Amino acid sequence: MLENSVIGLPKAAVIRCRFWDDECVIYNQFTGETHLVEGMGAEIFKLISEKSATRTQLLQTIHSVFELETGFDIEDFLDNLILQYQKLGLLDVMENSPA
Amino acid sequence: MKLATLSRKEVIHSLNRKRLRLKIGGFNVCLSSPIPEVADHLLCLYGAFEVVDDEAFIDFYTSLASPSKVRRYFRAQVNFSFDGYVPFKPLPYKQASAMFEWGLNWCIANHSHHYLVIHAAVVERNSQAFIFPGTPGSGKSTLCAALACSGWRLLSDEMTLLSVADGLVYPVPRPISLKNRSLDVIRNFSSNIIMGPVVKDTAKGAVGHVRPSDESVDLGEVPAKPAKLIFPKYLENSNTDLIPLSKSRALLKIAENCFNYNILGVQGFKSVSDLIDASDCYEFNYSCLEEAVALFAELAH
Repeated sequence: MLENSVIGLPKAAVIRCRFWDDECVIYNQFTGETHLVEGMGAEIFKLISEKSATRTQLLQTIHSVFELETGFDIEDFLDNLILQYQKLGLLDVMENSPA
Repeated sequence: MKLATLSRKEVIHSLNRKRLRLKIGGFNVCLSSPIPEVADHLLCLYGAFEVVDDEAFIDFYTSLASPSKVRRYFRAQVNFSFDGYVPFKPLPYKQASAMFEWGLNWCIANHSHHYLVIHAAVVERNSQAFIFPGTPGSGKSTLCAALACSGWRLLSDEMTLLSVADGLVYPVPRPISLKNRSLDVIRNFSSNIIMGPVVKDTAKGAVGHVRPSDESVDLGEVPAKPAKLIFPKYLENSNTDLIPLSKSRALLKIAENCFNYNILGVQGFKSVSDLIDASDCYEFNYSCLEEAVALFAELAH
């Protein structure tokens, strides 16, 4: 679903992230809401708060940090997570246009 | 000049002439009232506070008076007003002094947005501020009173004022408000406390106030560096348990306990985050004040 996507923080500087251990707290300036993000979600934001990342890069990071159970559909899980964060306005999903 | 140097007659006179101006932490407060019991409350609990002169800038002009002539004599009532605005419904006349304390809380919480205002008690020892956020009934004021009776400096029993400019905690050392069973608990804990008259049958039950130490009042403009963030919970017959709390969860709990987190927006998030960075965070269950005080003394050592 998101195979050719680049995931990054919203271009307008409305998101503030703070990281502690394996958790992350995100403040959305547009909505005034504060979100606690743990586990895989925190890893996603750790990566994209430095630089936008492709879905493939996110998957590589998750594979390197977490031991996933055999048969666990990580790609589907990641896509759903990204779409949920997108709905909350915490990240942007952009099409990865060829160079 | 400290308030204690004035006679009761002089305090009543000043209150009547709208000229009683006190320095309370970093705020100058002017209070007027024709109610003699208010003078007694101030003399008992605010004796160590400086009276500021007539030319000084006043942050809050407040008054306590009957809403009408009729209500001065028939089912007597009192109103609190700030700059002529009446934020609350009137209360029974006998609750005038408690209403002053609640009214001043309201003034500070609603008009001090150069601070992140956290609903939390805060005390200091060895240059470390211990912050105790808590909802009513969590035991934060009781704990705060016990620590203040044990030589800790009181910065506030009700509101932690965290400067958005420098991240330090600024004091507003006022009488510690205690309710119901806590009144006897603290009377039994320390024989050295000075407690004002207990006002019964308020919306919160019986309410009394403990006078802050002279040292806490004298250091009323000296900030402290945040060191520990402790969420207390009084649980009957519980052990004394200090449980580490993750910083992310502590941040969310602090945000819930702030009066102006949403007003400050991104600055509020930055201030809370910096506070969390600077503090060790815990949840704390207790039922024995002596054990709690000993534990915190060790933690501040």
